[in-house]
Amino acid sequence: MSNRVVGQSVPKIDAATKVRGQRKFPQDFNMKGQLYAKVVWSEYPHARVLKIDVSPAEALPGVVAILTSKDVPVNEYGINIVDQPVLVGEGEKVRWLGDRIAIVIGESEKIAQEARQLVRVEYEPLPVVSDPREAMKPGAPLIHEERGDSNILKHIKIRKGDIEKGFAEADVVIESYYVTPHVEHAYMQPEAGVGYIDEKGRVTVIAAAQWSHDDLHQISHMLDLPLDQVREIVPAIGGAFGGREDMYIQHLLALCAYCVRRPVKMVFDREESIRNTGKRHPYYMKYRTGATKEGKLTAVEIELISDAGGYASTSIPVLNNAASFAAGPYVVPHAKVDAYTVYTNNAVTMAMRGFGSTQPAFAYEMQMNKLAEALGVDPVELRMKNLLEDGSIALTGNPMPKGVGIKETLRQAALGAGWREEADHWIKPDLGTPSAPYRRRGIGVACGYKNVGYSFGFDDKTRVIVELALDESGEIARALVKLGASDQGMGAHTALAQIAAEALGIDYEKVRVALVDTSVVPDAGSCSASRHVYMSGNAVIRACQEAVRKRQEALRTGERRVSAEYEYHGRSVRPTTPYDDENGMCDPHISYGYTSQIALVEVDVETGQTEVLKLLAAQDVGKAINPEMVKGQAGGGVHMGLGYALTEKFIQKEGLVKTRRFSEYHIPTVADMPREFIPFIVEVPDPTGPFGAKGVGEMTTLPTAPAIISAIHDAVGIWIDNLPATAEKVWWKMKEKAGMA
Amino acid sequence: MPTLKMILNGQEVFVDVEAGDLLADVLRDRLGLIGTKISCGEGECGACTVLVDGKAVDSCLYPALKVQGREVVTIEGLGEDNRLDPIQQAFVDKTAPQCGYCIPGMVISAKALLDENPHPTRQEIEEGISGNLCRCTGYYQIIEAIELAAERLAEKGGPK
Repeated sequence: MSNRVVGQSVPKIDAATKVRGQRKFPQDFNMKGQLYAKVVWSEYPHARVLKIDVSPAEALPGVVAILTSKDVPVNEYGINIVDQPVLVGEGEKVRWLGDRIAIVIGESEKIAQEARQLVRVEYEPLPVVSDPREAMKPGAPLIHEERGDSNILKHIKIRKGDIEKGFAEADVVIESYYVTPHVEHAYMQPEAGVGYIDEKGRVTVIAAAQWSHDDLHQISHMLDLPLDQVREIVPAIGGAFGGREDMYIQHLLALCAYCVRRPVKMVFDREESIRNTGKRHPYYMKYRTGATKEGKLTAVEIELISDAGGYASTSIPVLNNAASFAAGPYVVPHAKVDAYTVYTNNAVTMAMRGFGSTQPAFAYEMQMNKLAEALGVDPVELRMKNLLEDGSIALTGNPMPKGVGIKETLRQAALGAGWREEADHWIKPDLGTPSAPYRRRGIGVACGYKNVGYSFGFDDKTRVIVELALDESGEIARALVKLGASDQGMGAHTALAQIAAEALGIDYEKVRVALVDTSVVPDAGSCSASRHVYMSGNAVIRACQEAVRKRQEALRTGERRVSAEYEYHGRSVRPTTPYDDENGMCDPHISYGYTSQIALVEVDVETGQTEVLKLLAAQDVGKAINPEMVKGQAGGGVHMGLGYALTEKFIQKEGLVKTRRFSEYHIPTVADMPREFIPFIVEVPDPTGPFGAKGVGEMTTLPTAPAIISAIHDAVGIWIDNLPATAEKVWWKMKEKAGMA
Repeated sequence: MPTLKMILNGQEVFVDVEAGDLLADVLRDRLGLIGTKISCGEGECGACTVLVDGKAVDSCLYPALKVQGREVVTIEGLGEDNRLDPIQQAFVDKTAPQCGYCIPGMVISAKALLDENPHPTRQEIEEGISGNLCRCTGYYQIIEAIELAAERLAEKGGPK
């Protein structure tokens, strides 16, 4: 079957307006008579608020209102666990720097800015808990006294097979301890928006959000208003990467509008955005991996400890994911995993590209490369002996569903990098001569896999309405796809329009995707878990099929408008299940995406600087709905992975922030990117996906860091087990190895 | 309040500004040209890039009064109503915009580069956009778009 639209790199649906600068982002909205709001942030990572004196601020001309906890009808929220105060009142605790004391609303931004500095807050500082390994010990100061007598939010246990037997069968055992840092999402568009009361009296928010319908539930709870009295509109989103899955400004805008009944605009500056919003979880990972001398994995023993920060956010679902992927995309007969997530007074940690699959990917791939070296086996070959296939039993005891494309991604990347396959052996290429005598070359391999859609028994669903306008002759003149799927930039709306065009048999140009406005579009679930192509794509196909049936009726009746609706449930293909409390066995995920990358680097032995010369990235997406968009996802995933590997670390000291801007928190510039980037699109279909498609957004970032770090090892013989491998760290490690430090 | 006169996207514009006002704020808040984006507010990311007398500057740091009597080009000054500028068109054709927040600044930086150097090497393109941060793309399709724009402009006899 050949497709007309699916599989074509059509122009993105919003590209023309974006290159003209016409697409409106939240900060581009202004309303008549709008006021401006600024937040009074906590000054301490852990303290009791004794007194809040707003009177000097109130006295400033032009100040309209100063909101404190007393103004919040129900002063609590949280995406997964409701443990966050909207505003922290007198007698209550701040638990991280991003906690808010008050919101100052003024006639101008300048007035609001000036007034917030006049709000006087007295604190009683409390002991700061800044390391989850300390926080989990009995007797550690409690962050949430109201939630029991431990800072441990969750402990997951996986017990597969017989771990002692597994290690007894091993000829080689590798033990290591890995640490990954806090990472800032660093989307280019800082939090911003407008809150107002719409013409129907609804509290309305215009802001960037990944799951507007979930925000709605949280805002309705906070304001104690029925759901139909709140509304969220999501215009263009300037990147998200998980960082807008929780509310950081939406609820504040809603509260402002609710309290003052006038439009209120709020924009975070970059420092506010970095200081006061969630991060990728740091993970502390203890790994013990055993293999036979033939290179077959026999056992893994893993401890994961994650830093949840001051509030839970999605730390538990992130941990669920991390534990399920902890052994990597390999068959491991015997396994023991203990995974913990723990409250601290550090930054709140949350969803970020990979959602818990990224951190263990660093650890398990480093283990594989260390094993390969210890066994004297090529790293590609070692993986080929152990990688998952259709029906392989995963870490959680479930058979892998059809469409496991991981081997094919590795094969393509390895061949692309110059590996040769001879008999059952893989032979590494010659790397050529370094570009300077003080530089050393190395090559590194890594794989990764991740779920598509929501997992562990969660009823993942997406609802779509498709409306057709028929012309005189009954042909489809236009189609409108309505769903609450945020497009944070990756092209979800483009891909869904392509799927709709294909399913309806019409041109792509005839399809529009409605603006996400909760008063118009149905709930399509979050823009996360790499799920919209798979989940919403499946829903769009079925809604379109229904619309096509209804069109037949319309042709008989002469009706010119057709509307069809469909709600797609992930459980209709695979009912996932939660972890068993005792042994962790379950069928965790609906679908999966797979990826392999190979990095060629040069390390400057005089400075410790790493340059990535070439990066090959193969992603199995099942079916590329839009190949150029897939390449864009690969490029972006590698960008984040490279930052993870070499430069990015959000630094806190005793809960205080040291990296407050882009000059201190280094995301890769164009000059830092791999000189040569070679993406491969692998299409091993998932029979349950739309046109065989899986997901792609997150998987592309998983192998980059372990591939680069292993390439550094290949070049200069050192293992960097805690990210990032800054030049300084590499330099010291080389000195240490030479016995000079 | 001093009056600022500039040639903005080819039109003479008068606007009253205060001494400390920054060009980006004047463009966005006073003149409604929202295509110029503010991301870091301190000259580290290039989202606010505009041309002043043909040179790319960070308008979030640039005092508005410094453009007195000078020519300013923002993203709104490129292309025509129903036709994109060749650089903009190349960005569309190469699937360069993802979220698009950095894109106006990228396009303006590309314009500054190609106006001065119509046949840039890849290295020169990288240098040309090295002050523009993007978190979505990895920059590859942006570089390809600038290469394509240079090619197309060369066929047409150079940028204008």
